[in-house]
Amino acid sequence: MIVVDGLEKRFAPTARSLRDALTRRPAQAGIAAVKQLSFTAADSCITGLLGPNGAGKTTTLRMLAGLIAPDAGRMSVDGIDVASRPREALARMGVLSDARGLYPRLTARENIVYYGALQGLGRDHAEARADVLAEMLAFKPLLDRRTEGFSQGERMKIALARALVHDPANIVLDEPTNGLDVPATRSLRDSLRFLRTAEGGGKCVVFSTHIMQEVQRLCDQVVVVSRGRSVAAGTVDELLAQTGQRDFEEAFVQLAFPPLHELAS
Amino acid sequence: MSTARAAWAVYRKEIVDALRDRRTLMVVLFSSVLMGPLLLVALSALLASFEASAEGRVVYVDGADNAPGLINFLQRQTRIVKAPPPDYEAQLRARRWSDPVLVVPKDFDSAVQRGEAPAIEVVSDSGNAQSQAGAARVQRLLAAYAQERTTLTLALRGVATELLEPFEVQERDLASARTRAAQITGMLPFFVIMAVLYGALNAALDTTAGERERGSLEPLLMNPAGRGALVLGKWGAVASVAVLIATLSCFSFIPAQWLLRSDTLQAMFQYGWREALAFLVLLLPFAAAMSALLMAIAIRCKSFKEAQASSTVVLAGVSLLPLVSVFDQSGESPWHLWVPALAQSTLMARVLKGEALGATDLAVPLAVCAGLTVLGLMWVARRLNDAAVG
Repeated sequence: MIVVDGLEKRFAPTARSLRDALTRRPAQAGIAAVKQLSFTAADSCITGLLGPNGAGKTTTLRMLAGLIAPDAGRMSVDGIDVASRPREALARMGVLSDARGLYPRLTARENIVYYGALQGLGRDHAEARADVLAEMLAFKPLLDRRTEGFSQGERMKIALARALVHDPANIVLDEPTNGLDVPATRSLRDSLRFLRTAEGGGKCVVFSTHIMQEVQRLCDQVVVVSRGRSVAAGTVDELLAQTGQRDFEEAFVQLAFPPLHELAS
Repeated sequence: MSTARAAWAVYRKEIVDALRDRRTLMVVLFSSVLMGPLLLVALSALLASFEASAEGRVVYVDGADNAPGLINFLQRQTRIVKAPPPDYEAQLRARRWSDPVLVVPKDFDSAVQRGEAPAIEVVSDSGNAQSQAGAARVQRLLAAYAQERTTLTLALRGVATELLEPFEVQERDLASARTRAAQITGMLPFFVIMAVLYGALNAALDTTAGERERGSLEPLLMNPAGRGALVLGKWGAVASVAVLIATLSCFSFIPAQWLLRSDTLQAMFQYGWREALAFLVLLLPFAAAMSALLMAIAIRCKSFKEAQASSTVVLAGVSLLPLVSVFDQSGESPWHLWVPALAQSTLMARVLKGEALGATDLAVPLAVCAGLTVLGLMWVARRLNDAAVG
């Protein structure tokens, strides 16, 4: 279970250069990437963070993975505080970040086993996990080939397998369907659904996206993120009822981009 | 997970990754390992041909009939007199002819008899280094002939020869054979130092800027391994590759001496296992420091290409610093040992001269390199997070 409460992050302005000082350019204000973002992602449940580009989704997930320190707020993974025990929290999470580069001179298996070693798995255990994941994500024929020249979809599968090598209870994915074609997207969706079930391990899955259909087809729970805030949460049906819309896209637009007078109030 | 275990996992992966980059390895092997010995062999061939022409018994004389006295003198000096080809001037210019030619004017002997001081030409081409070397030899022969003639003429008039040569010049060279050889073998340290740098360069850039460019740094940091472990593992791999190349480079000069064409150089050039090992001991801390330094520079760069441009400063610095000892005529100063690259090249030159190295000579560069390594690695570890998300 992942709990995020009152998260805030403001990026400092870029340092003033000598030229800025000489030309008396005013100091730039920092950018508030995330302000008051909260959500709870339960086990055996797929939670989608839905928001437009620049809403703060990637920043939030990077804070969850301990890459960026938040200015305020708390995050916990299975009750472990991310700020004070980041490594323990990471050991309970499998994170597929926005950047998903592989090592082209290593085979798919070596890429996965390397991450297994970094997670503290023994070699045999990591090898066995690579086989299991190749079966689940359907990339067995690729397993012993070097990843140079893999297609987007193939890379994505290896990167996901790499993130899941230690069989984490919590899975965090940043825009996982980016650049994937329809069959690859469908197979990813099937894999995530399987991971949520009891025989798949009853995982807590959190993924960020800006694609409506993705959320409608897959999510048990949706958190709408806009301008760094979590503005609404619930199932798709609940959000439709809340906004009085029949079309989910309309509901999303209404939630994510409220008219200005509402913002003021 | 323990730092040591994580660092070992990173080290193993980076070594495999670096060794699989065959094309880069081949280029590095060729440019830094083979280049030094090849140059040494080429230099020895050149030196051998100099020696051959310096000791040559053949003197080419155009118009030998005009100077029977001179020819007689040359033959008494056990020289063989031959006529040059008619187009020797053109051949000298084209560097197809490597000997100087003595041109004797008509009626040379009778002009000498009459005391007219006729001119005699030694034709060589100053653009043709080999003919230049031979020209000095011919001039010495001519000077000896002139002296013989003078002595004879004055002796006939009853003048003592001691008056003509009021003192004798004797040269005493204090340099040992190894010191003389060091003038030629002085380029060796430069080659092995550059080999270390080129060995480290690619791996250092690939594990930092390359990792950023591929987008694999951010996922790497989402593992529960500590930053220190990641940096140590990467640095260990980079330094290992650098040391591997350095070892190959140091030992490549041993078989190279078997190919030396010049007997003098071969006799003077004493480079065996002892010297190679001493080189390696001096280079180990240097390889460690350069690996850390290159990584520290590259971690700031977003792409491999950018990192290559930035690391040019280090490459230029390391290749120019040893020149300080060439330009600084005041000789070896104590501060030389405090400057990386300059210190190593100074100490390696001493090894080649057969001089002993003291404990402080080794301790100072070691301390400097250790400090540089620690600073570099701390900087990389600090920058790692920013580099991943920046």
